[in-house]
Amino acid sequence: MNNLKIFLCDNSIDGIFTAIYQAWSSGYGHSNIKIEEQCEKNSYSNIELFSEYIIVETNFDQAVKVSNSIKTKISLEAYEMTCRVALSDYQGKGDLIYRFLILGFHIGKNIVSHLSNEVVNRVFKLNRYVSGEAHHLLGFIRFSEQENKILTSIIHPKNNVLSLVTPHFADRLPNERFVIFDGNRNVCSLHLPEKSWIIIEIPSMNLNDYDILIDDEYESLWKTFFDNIAIKERINPKLQRNNLPIRFRKDMTEFIPERINSLI
Amino acid sequence: MVIQEGMSIQRKLEILSDAAKFDVACTSSGVDRKGNGSGIGNSLACGICHTFSADGRCISLLKILFTNECIFDCKYCINRSSNDVVRASFTPREVCELTMEFYRRNYIEGLFLSSGIMVSPNHTMELIFDALRMLRDEYHFNGYIHCKAIPGTDPVLVEAIGWYTDRMSVNLELPTASSLKRLAPHKSRKNILKPMRQIQLRRESNNEYLGIYDGRRHVSNQITMTNDKSSEITNDNRNSDRDLLLRVNNTTNIVPYNKAPIGKSRYVPAGQSTQMIIGATDESDYHIMSVSETLYDNFDLKRVFYSAFVNVNDDSNLPSTVSGPPLLREHRLYQADWLLRFYGFKIAELLNEKNPNFNVLLDPKCDWALRHLDEFPVEVNKADYYTLLRVPGIGVNSARRITTARKSAILDFKDLKAMGIVLKRAVYFITCNGRMMYPIKLDEDFITRELLAVKDRLPFGIEKDITYKQLSLFDDVSFQPDDRLMLQEISHA
Repeated sequence: MNNLKIFLCDNSIDGIFTAIYQAWSSGYGHSNIKIEEQCEKNSYSNIELFSEYIIVETNFDQAVKVSNSIKTKISLEAYEMTCRVALSDYQGKGDLIYRFLILGFHIGKNIVSHLSNEVVNRVFKLNRYVSGEAHHLLGFIRFSEQENKILTSIIHPKNNVLSLVTPHFADRLPNERFVIFDGNRNVCSLHLPEKSWIIIEIPSMNLNDYDILIDDEYESLWKTFFDNIAIKERINPKLQRNNLPIRFRKDMTEFIPERINSLI
Repeated sequence: MVIQEGMSIQRKLEILSDAAKFDVACTSSGVDRKGNGSGIGNSLACGICHTFSADGRCISLLKILFTNECIFDCKYCINRSSNDVVRASFTPREVCELTMEFYRRNYIEGLFLSSGIMVSPNHTMELIFDALRMLRDEYHFNGYIHCKAIPGTDPVLVEAIGWYTDRMSVNLELPTASSLKRLAPHKSRKNILKPMRQIQLRRESNNEYLGIYDGRRHVSNQITMTNDKSSEITNDNRNSDRDLLLRVNNTTNIVPYNKAPIGKSRYVPAGQSTQMIIGATDESDYHIMSVSETLYDNFDLKRVFYSAFVNVNDDSNLPSTVSGPPLLREHRLYQADWLLRFYGFKIAELLNEKNPNFNVLLDPKCDWALRHLDEFPVEVNKADYYTLLRVPGIGVNSARRITTARKSAILDFKDLKAMGIVLKRAVYFITCNGRMMYPIKLDEDFITRELLAVKDRLPFGIEKDITYKQLSLFDDVSFQPDDRLMLQEISHA
């Protein structure tokens, strides 16, 4: 009996693609291979007995080779889907992408329509889940104006969507300096006028401390608007909660109670 | 009338957002526009919801009135001239500042500017025009703008404003001219349809000029009247429309335009919408939906919105809404509206003179399907897209998914489930490979009973107000006086 070969990789698109490259070229056979990404909570999942672990160092050249193959041999759509799956919080996404690509390279660009296939179906759902959260955040992100007119936002998304939402704001606010912090991952995206946006890791900063933000005078105007636009005769917290899940609200100006004036 | 001098911006916003809350069309959809590299703003065709207010409705735009000072006395409106409410007005600059600062902070997708009528329709629209021009030209705002056109405004102003907005809307207010006359004595059907027609024709000529086909059929010169209900809308003379357009084209040269050459700009790119108040007057659902169908077919409207009547003025001449606004009725109208726009239904298939109101217990599509059992069951692996769309429980997304997935495999019920297609309702109307999921008799009574047992997916909050299930299946033990009122209101015709 062959031992299962487990490729352990970074939890990033490049990490997963590198692992796929190495797994593919290893020649162990698809059924003897499993790809495991370092999961979001920064620990490897339980170590399996009778398996051989292979640590994968992220290699950009190999990752780019995989990206290019997906784009040319399957389709751009499939590439974008796999990228979004790689950004999701789903455990086992590395292996899922691997299985998806095996099918994809075999079937070609029609792979995305094979919705009755279990692997394709899961990829389809995860893709929708990640795009859905990113789309929500395009609306739910709140900037607060800080010193030097820097617009600052903190979000706590389930999936690693920073790279999906930032281009929208860079296009929308070309002359603004803005930062979006991902409080769950300690990364942020940064945009300066006339420069392309970047994503930076900031491991040491505690983003969950809102006292780092100073008051913004427009926040109370926005709350005034928010409170008055509701029709009292139709108050409907269930519908509101269905449309705007509670988890987003802790980062949204209109749901944060007035900050207590720190001047005692 | 109370007019306060030197009011703070906070107080003005409080008054003028509260006064705007009954306007329904807070959508930011219909136009894709990338950022222009300078300035501020872009727009996505799918629209973006920025938050949801306590009533659960989407907030996408900064929805405000320019002023709530109003010379009109519409019976249903809180700002009618005979009401003693605090009045306030923004200045164009205040509107711009609020829009820009809210937009930068990603509170909103753009501006939705409506207004009471101060001095005259023209005077008000000139102020609105000033605000929009300042916002676009001085503040370089490139986000979404939705602007109301006040009936009775000079066509020259409507023409000018259209170049600065993404969407314009003229409120139809009430489904018939006679209701309008009764409740909004200062507005007339003619004054409402005139700017609507003007915007439609201007959009057509602009699209034609730019070579854009925006997916909608063009107005046929032959006015097709499927029923007499809609005749009062379609009856106006096409020749006078063309004259109007000519007149506008010739006279608007004096209006200073956007700096961008007119050759590239688009006139009301996201199209126009309108809204009707539901339940203030006694029109039937059939009547209301016939009007909507006409508006979609002959006026190229993108959306018709329905607003459940709330008797804000406690006017004794209008129906009481103490037991809550007619939300279920509003919901049924929206469901039917969707059937018209995306499902290929005609209103005559859903309702008729003898059966003029929607079923309280079943959604319009289920109701239709039960009356057309001869067209079912439908074979999932073979039926075309529009036939699939007619199956209760199968929506646009499900139908698309089915037509995609069946290219590569023969679908069975378990595949449908895996694809996220809800079978609760659909199971009575479909076959996979010639088999139904369970041995089901295509019997109207049986399926009706089964469908009623499936919880109707009403928007949250409506279900608790009416105990419709008990009403339908059992005796009237649980029939509360309140329910009786509510039901009368829903089904009153």
